[in-house]
Amino acid sequence: MGEKGKGWSLGLAALLGPAAFWLGVFFLLPLLLILAYSFGTSGIYGGLTLGFNPSNYLKVFDPLYLEITVRTLVIAFINTLLCLALGYPLAYFIALRGGRWKTALLILVMVPFWTSLLIRAYAWVVILGGNGIANRTLQFLGITDGPISLIFTPQAVLMGMVYSYLPFMILPLYATLERFDTSLKEAAHDLGAGRWHAFWRVTFPLSMPGVIAGSILVFIPSAGEFVIPNLLGGSQTVLLGNLIQQQFLNARDWAFGSALAVMLAVLLLGAIMFYVRRIGTEKLGGV
Amino acid sequence: MEDRRIQERPPDAPPVDRKVAVALSGITKRFGDFVAVDDLNLDIYEGEFFSLLGPSGCGKTTTLRMIAGFEEPGEGEISVAGQPVQGVPPYRRPVNTVFQSYAIFPHLNVFDNVAFGLRRAGVKGEELRQRVTRACKMVQLQGFEKRKPRMLSGGQQQRVALARALVNRPKVLLLDEPLGALDLKLRKEMQLELKNLQHEVGITFIYVTHDQEEALTMSDRIAVMNEGVVQQVADPATLYERPRNRFVANFIGQTNLFSGTVESVNGEKVTLVVPDGAKVEAVAQDGAEPEPGSEVHVAVRPEKVRFGAAGDNVCTAEVRQIVYLGVSTQYITWLPDGRKLALYQQNIQDAGGYDVGDEVTVSWDARNCLVLGG
Repeated sequence: MGEKGKGWSLGLAALLGPAAFWLGVFFLLPLLLILAYSFGTSGIYGGLTLGFNPSNYLKVFDPLYLEITVRTLVIAFINTLLCLALGYPLAYFIALRGGRWKTALLILVMVPFWTSLLIRAYAWVVILGGNGIANRTLQFLGITDGPISLIFTPQAVLMGMVYSYLPFMILPLYATLERFDTSLKEAAHDLGAGRWHAFWRVTFPLSMPGVIAGSILVFIPSAGEFVIPNLLGGSQTVLLGNLIQQQFLNARDWAFGSALAVMLAVLLLGAIMFYVRRIGTEKLGGV
Repeated sequence: MEDRRIQERPPDAPPVDRKVAVALSGITKRFGDFVAVDDLNLDIYEGEFFSLLGPSGCGKTTTLRMIAGFEEPGEGEISVAGQPVQGVPPYRRPVNTVFQSYAIFPHLNVFDNVAFGLRRAGVKGEELRQRVTRACKMVQLQGFEKRKPRMLSGGQQQRVALARALVNRPKVLLLDEPLGALDLKLRKEMQLELKNLQHEVGITFIYVTHDQEEALTMSDRIAVMNEGVVQQVADPATLYERPRNRFVANFIGQTNLFSGTVESVNGEKVTLVVPDGAKVEAVAQDGAEPEPGSEVHVAVRPEKVRFGAAGDNVCTAEVRQIVYLGVSTQYITWLPDGRKLALYQQNIQDAGGYDVGDEVTVSWDARNCLVLGG
């Protein structure tokens, strides 16, 4: 890069200023507030006094809350894996075999975004509920005798999550695979690699940027998800998101809620850094 | 043109009793309504440097891809080393390809790129290391084994592609315009290098190119293709000296074409009358006997036309354009009836110079003036 790219100018400041202001006021400031609250002390009736009180963080390690944390991470992880397993073939098909249907298929992938998440989650309640379509179909086919509990289970939460987050996996995967040079696949075949080897040695490693981007885009929001577990999980599947929500809205313990939020952020940051370090850099290096 | 051709195979070795490496018989390939390759018949011999030459869209790359196994012919049969390969996937064919875009794996370093095929074939350990090292050395890439492809120049990537294919010791190496992306100087160097390499390893090379000079320089034999049909298969000298039809005469080098009516045929000698009434003495192709009264085309190469009246065909012309080419000078002259006639004059010291507008006498011999078919 030449000297030209280095200087600060009025034009650059004008372009970056609004975004910097926005992020500073609406993202950084609340984040700092949460950090400050997390060391505060909640009053019995919901007030909060600032100070340095590490007990909120010690409370996080209570076995009851630890279990919720572990459950959250496991569900987010399984959700990411399922989205990858379901989304990869679809993204591959659209990108490499889609032909003139590519755009139409991509729009279909994005169709769920046209409706709000809340409504889509309620749709699952209707489908999985005791007298819902799923149960009636099972009974009609003679697979079950009476209604079984489909809703308010971890499986129901996962179903809702996979459904909600699949597009976030497909889109980055599609973007990477769309640029994939198919002559590389031919070269692999030419050098004696069958379909399996050509995929695992060439296509998949070269699609790692999409896999990483998609996984991060799915993992982060699903670790903080509270609408879907709230509606489909019931009391059995309380996740960190629900816990934080409860602390802020029901228990009025803002200090503990803030500590949980900070811990979740730190956990996610750590997980992503570990992930990108382990898989990311070496695979990304060649592309 | 001929002086750039590298002679190292005795031209007297008849290809007839050599073993066939790749046989294509009755190959037709259609993409929808478009006929890419039309009833192609070719025998390519072991150890031969064979080129498929033609303009883009002539079916040469499709032919190569059918041999590699990336496309299946609609009709006809392909055999490699005596074995029919219909339905055999690319990864089980004893051929390797150097792709036009090189198709180097960007996530693997040079060593792993070259080792890719060997690993699939189960070569391991010391043997793998040795063979990869030797292949890298062969294409002058020793010391580059740890480099990632993006740290290599175009010419070096080209060499990686070559090493990656050759290291597997294929029966046949397929090259799809491998030098197309290189600059002219590097291309000329690589032409010689490729030819030497082929001589060294003795593997059959099937080389696709649209560059006639490249094909003439490197090939033992060339198949000139147009619109999916092979126009002529011959060694470079024959192709240049005795083109079978107008397409080949025009595509290979520069040529002067005349059309006329056959007046008389005397053995090989043909006399024809061109539209302005002048007579042109020409020779017929081997075995061809033009009918008196029929319309034919004749071709004479610019370097076979000279100034002066010492030849079978003599006419006067006006110099219209002079292009200095270094070794020679090209004169574009106009014959009285308005037809163009190009001629080359070697720039030897005592060659007389002419100016634009000069009235000149030009001539050429009947034996250099060939009646074309088709």
